[in-house]
Amino acid sequence: MTFVDPHIVLSALGIAIAGGLIGLDRTAVGQFMISQPIVAGPFTGWLLGDATTGLLVGAALELIWILDMPVGSFVPADSTVASISATAIAVLGNPGAVYVPGIGFSILLTVILAPITMRADQVARQFNARLADAAQSASGPDLRKRLARAHVSGVGVFFLKSLAVYLAFLPVGIVAVRLFLAMPDPVHRAMALFVKLLPLMGAALAARRLSMKAVDLFLLGGFVLAALMGQVFQAPALVILPLAVAGGLLGARYRERPS
Amino acid sequence: MNARHKEIGAADLVCVFMRGLLVQASWSFERMQSLGFAYAIEPVLRKLYPDPEEYESRLKLHMTYFNTQPYLASYILGAVMRLEQERASGRNRAADVQGLKTSLMAPLGALGDSVFWGSLKPFAAVMAVALVITGSGWAPLLFLTIYNSVHVVLRAGVLVSGYRSGGDAVDLVARYRFTRIAKVLKVTSLAMLGVIPGMLPAWRPEFRFAVNAPDIAVSAAGLAFTLGIVGLLRQGGSPVRFMLGLGVACIVMAYAGVI
Repeated sequence: MTFVDPHIVLSALGIAIAGGLIGLDRTAVGQFMISQPIVAGPFTGWLLGDATTGLLVGAALELIWILDMPVGSFVPADSTVASISATAIAVLGNPGAVYVPGIGFSILLTVILAPITMRADQVARQFNARLADAAQSASGPDLRKRLARAHVSGVGVFFLKSLAVYLAFLPVGIVAVRLFLAMPDPVHRAMALFVKLLPLMGAALAARRLSMKAVDLFLLGGFVLAALMGQVFQAPALVILPLAVAGGLLGARYRERPS
Repeated sequence: MNARHKEIGAADLVCVFMRGLLVQASWSFERMQSLGFAYAIEPVLRKLYPDPEEYESRLKLHMTYFNTQPYLASYILGAVMRLEQERASGRNRAADVQGLKTSLMAPLGALGDSVFWGSLKPFAAVMAVALVITGSGWAPLLFLTIYNSVHVVLRAGVLVSGYRSGGDAVDLVARYRFTRIAKVLKVTSLAMLGVIPGMLPAWRPEFRFAVNAPDIAVSAAGLAFTLGIVGLLRQGGSPVRFMLGLGVACIVMAYAGVI
């Protein structure tokens, strides 16, 4: 298998287009959350015939940027590009069985490139200002058409921005994963551990934003419940999570009770 | 002009709702959602103002700076439809449409960010991640179902509320109890975040730590790691820096023979 394998080139191109369309959900169209890593990752993996890799990437990245909100003019890191790129790079760079260290390396690589996605988003939004100026300068019967054209063109700008980022990231990433496969064993063990620790890091990043406390009682309560139910009664997550939600509801009601 | 033509019906509300899904399509730093708002309201203005000059001046009025949370933009769209209707029909020629937009966009932006980005999204995401890492492959669909069953219903509901109330934000907050919902979702999300390290021994094989220790010790180590990261986050730092730091730490540990 060579890098210029036509199947890989076509797959990467297809993912770049699909990624551009999925990325529209982030800002331009709807915000139905199909662009979240937990959805975009498995979907990308499914398109490439390896949904499991996408599911692992999505679960590892979902909570990392979950509370980086697009408030005012702040543009958060593009978790959609990160999850789709990491999935595609991991699958296309090492086709076959799911390889956890390869997934870790792909995630690390896309995280390094995250500032580029933020910059690309800023450039797209700066370009959109020209569209607004063009619509604003119109008058008479042209105004309606110019407004519609300028506004819908923004969708195209966001799509092209993502497409360009994928077209730049994917070839570099696929080559990098090939090089990674030849690296010494400790690097592979390190990347396997990196993937395993990411859900815990995501939980910490989310907890930090949801609570100002260093040790939140609701978090501790959820931990005790899961450890008890999971390890003593062998209860699955499907049973434990509704109990944690119920516990949270009761706790919230208790906290609001007049003293 | 026949008064019948100045009535706004269900079809108009549906049209504005659909166009409202694109409210951020041409988002720019200077004018943010200005074109999106004008694009969404344009069919109603065309219906209400048959005089081309008046139509143009009303449309240009809505092309000025506008920014709020995209879901709650529906509420302002509904309220503006009502005021424009009253103005066009002569019932209230002095209706201060621009004043209404200006007074609502900032508070609804803050409210929407807190409820949707800061509470509902993490709630659905934490649940999905907890399920995926313990082996459920369908969790992404659950995530989309939980999130969008609330998002779409509320987005459509607030459009109608805005139209009926004419922009009475007190009625909106009382009807939907947004702040209470946000508080409860945050607390339950924290409880579910505690479930993630609590269920650590039951994580799917790709994420599981192969260590020879009792399950409770593995869970406790997971909790300690999570709380340790929370402690570090209190000192500041971005998610990208923390992930890069984690990657480097894993490589150092691998070469040091710790893993």
